[in-house]
Amino acid sequence: MKLLICPMNGPRNIDEFQSFGPVRAEPDPDRTADADWSRHLFRAENRRGIVVEWWRHVPSNYFFLAERDLVTNEVIRTFDPSERRDQS
Amino acid sequence: MAASAVFPFMAGGAADGTKLPAGALALSDLTASPRFGLKGGGSAAWLTAHGISLPAVNHIGAYHGMRILRLGNEDILLLAEGAGEALAELKAAWANEPKGYSSWREEGWAWLRISGPHAPQAMSRLCAFDLRADRFGVDDIAQTRVGHIEAVTFRSQAGFDVLFDVTASAYFARTAAAAARHCTDLLIDTEGRP
Repeated sequence: MKLLICPMNGPRNIDEFQSFGPVRAEPDPDRTADADWSRHLFRAENRRGIVVEWWRHVPSNYFFLAERDLVTNEVIRTFDPSERRDQS
Repeated sequence: MAASAVFPFMAGGAADGTKLPAGALALSDLTASPRFGLKGGGSAAWLTAHGISLPAVNHIGAYHGMRILRLGNEDILLLAEGAGEALAELKAAWANEPKGYSSWREEGWAWLRISGPHAPQAMSRLCAFDLRADRFGVDDIAQTRVGHIEAVTFRSQAGFDVLFDVTASAYFARTAAAAARHCTDLLIDTEGRP
């Protein structure tokens, strides 16, 4: 069984988690050109590199972030969303 | 037909006729015992302001005979087995000046107690999390899967308490009985109490 480290609950079996996809930019629909807005809505990125994703630990309903290498599928680190807010 | 002793009570419902194992592994239903879940911004501050010293996340504290389960920063569960009056007092104070919201744990969650000499052995079959005494203390909480369903589990004097979605109580009783059948050196009555 693959393990994922939940920042709140510690290492757990991967089947206790649910993935919510990458963290995305939040463009203002009123100030974004139609072409860019359409790209935001309908196009998914498919690149190599590191992605930051939303995950949820289901039994505790806790949402957190994970940095994952899209090529090796290695999870580099997991952290509480407040850490990201502190950075920005 | 008499309604089942296992929640949810409903003649002809999924839990109707469910038997709780008894003997070396016993399951008892505490779902009717008083409890109160408080969740959302301000709930931790409100409880602290009312004299409750909150434990760290995934740990258990105590206040006036209640067990205080910290399930998240702003997700707290008060279990008042035998401390109904203290809880009623606190709930009355909360109704006057509510902070956060009630998470309806008294209706949404079942509360079952696994006890008996085989309780640790059965739990090791039911739950992948390491619940051995040297790894999982009396004031620890595990939010994980027990019997393949999302659950909150912790130690009680008798063994382990498990909280989970009340609609799965009959399923859980059957799953615990199935785990009990693997503990064969002591007597377990899987057709025990109705």
